[in-house]
Amino acid sequence: MKRAKGLRLAALALGGAVLLSGCVTRTEPSVSTQIFVMDTIMSLELWEGGSQEQLNQAVEQLYQWEDLWSATDEDSEIWAADHSGGEWVTLSGDTVDLLSQALDLCRLTGGALDLTAYSAVKAWGFTTGEYRVPGEEELAALADGIDHTQVELDRDACRVRLPAGMELDLGAVAKGYAGARLAEQLREQGVTSALLNLGGNVQTVGGKPDGSPWSVGVQDPASEQVDNLLAIQVVDQAVVTSGSYQRYFQQDGQTYWHILDPETAAPARTGLASVTVVGPDGTVCDGLATALFVLGEEAGIELWRAHPELGVQVIWVREDGSVALTEGLEENYQVNPQHRGLDMTVVEA
Amino acid sequence: MRTQRPADGARRITQMALLTAIALTIFMAEAQIPVPIPIPGIKLGLANIVTVYAVFALGPGDALLILVARVFLGAVFSGQMMTLFYSLGGGLLCWLVLLLLSRLLTWKQIWLCSPISAVFHNLGQLLVAAALLGSWTVLAYLPYLVVAGAASGLFTGLCAQLLAGRLKGLGRR
Amino acid sequence: MNKRTALLAALLAGAVLLCAGVIWRQHSGPGGGVLARVYQRGELMEEIRLDRVQEPYSFPLTGEGGAENVVEVEPGRIRIVSATCPDQVCVRQGWISDSTVPVVCLPNQVIVEIVGGEGFADTAAG
Repeated sequence: MKRAKGLRLAALALGGAVLLSGCVTRTEPSVSTQIFVMDTIMSLELWEGGSQEQLNQAVEQLYQWEDLWSATDEDSEIWAADHSGGEWVTLSGDTVDLLSQALDLCRLTGGALDLTAYSAVKAWGFTTGEYRVPGEEELAALADGIDHTQVELDRDACRVRLPAGMELDLGAVAKGYAGARLAEQLREQGVTSALLNLGGNVQTVGGKPDGSPWSVGVQDPASEQVDNLLAIQVVDQAVVTSGSYQRYFQQDGQTYWHILDPETAAPARTGLASVTVVGPDGTVCDGLATALFVLGEEAGIELWRAHPELGVQVIWVREDGSVALTEGLEENYQVNPQHRGLDMTVVEA
Repeated sequence: MRTQRPADGARRITQMALLTAIALTIFMAEAQIPVPIPIPGIKLGLANIVTVYAVFALGPGDALLILVARVFLGAVFSGQMMTLFYSLGGGLLCWLVLLLLSRLLTWKQIWLCSPISAVFHNLGQLLVAAALLGSWTVLAYLPYLVVAGAASGLFTGLCAQLLAGRLKGLGRR
Repeated sequence: MNKRTALLAALLAGAVLLCAGVIWRQHSGPGGGVLARVYQRGELMEEIRLDRVQEPYSFPLTGEGGAENVVEVEPGRIRIVSATCPDQVCVRQGWISDSTVPVVCLPNQVIVEIVGGEGFADTAAG
């Protein structure tokens, strides 16, 4: 009798254990992965309506794009275009699509975004990590060689031609485009909630599984650690940041970063530390983030006001740590409690 | 009867001193044995044998004195004053539970008192750690420490049971 | 065995089984989390996104009386690589890469834990 009671108690305790451990379920994406592709870490999380097969497909797609667009891979289409010696080079449909959107953005931003700055980026050593500061004459020559209007894109024949010696690179738009295309593909496949972080280029599909918007942090450019200044709430949008903190080197007390001003072929110095662009089209967000960093705050605000059709919102973080954001974000951001007292101004349309 | 009092006192002091010395020796010796499981707070806790034995042989009051003396001296000898807080937190909770158990159980169930008190020893230690570290994160170790405490406590309990049998003469008046 | 003994033994056995269940459960699934937090004396010293670490690096945490723990970070994982504490439990705990259990150095009052990257935001641009 006594033993039976003991047993019953033990059974009760065991049942409790099972129940309790059942409660410790984590909120995790249904399928997710992290891969190193396009020189960066990408994390893909499908939260609702996604399958492992769709995830694999997306990963495969990213590797294929990397093969097409790598400026350093001798088998890529971009390499072929860069080393054709002024001849026409045939491109695949995806490359034509991306290139034509990117060249539109170059024109829209008056050349603040210029895909043909690759020679200058190489001269500074940003592609290899062997950094150097080119001399004035060299910079002048490099700046002369940057001109997106000389890129001839023949959409119908799917081919491109660059002047001999000119090199273009899709680095400023490729991740944004990849995010946009993947998002579109996932939506068509019935995915209703997904979060893609392509090396800091964030692309969302829908909102969170519970219907609330995704919260995307904007990095504090002054911090070495992950430290978000503020977070914005987005649904079905892309969030892309260009910042001087992302890749830089120091020499003789000066800091040089990878975002070059096409006019000078030198790092764009406009008093900004980062620019974040939020919008429905990842390619536009990616290209604009670079262009707005190069333009600086004032010219950037002008450009933003002149193009409401793009449907983007912008966050400028200045070198002194203060922030300006466009009015469309006013209702959709929270300042990180650790950055209470953030100096914030709202830019009206 | 009156003449026996000083003798009783001397006997008690001697017993306590002896047990404190034994506990301290065991404690210091055990500190030299590396623990195979790298989870903070897990150890055999051999010194617990003495505490459990003392509660039943000498009574909870004297057991507490032995425990506190051992914990304090152990911290001094090992040069680790931080351990003082952890050991004291664990030791006091362990003793409280033993106090309760000594009312409920008898000599014959020392083997059971030990694992129960060991679990509470680990709990006390963890609570002190949480307070000192200012974080509840350490409670993630609780399941490990409960299982480890019960296992090592059962071992030390069986040791204490054996000791109690051998030292019957010492404990009884 | 009397009734009381049986009851207490059953309670103990139940608690052990419960905890064993929790441990088993923790280890059977992948633990989440990419955000490592390093605390010293209850104060947050470092916050590291382990999924963003590209080059391994290490940094020391110095405490009172010459106490020191050296924390090492690699892509996706973190550990205490050396410490001045006598028991070296924190060092022997080795690498952690998820939120299952933290690394704790009791003598030097250091905690290294991993939590979900969600924290303040779901993800971070930049």
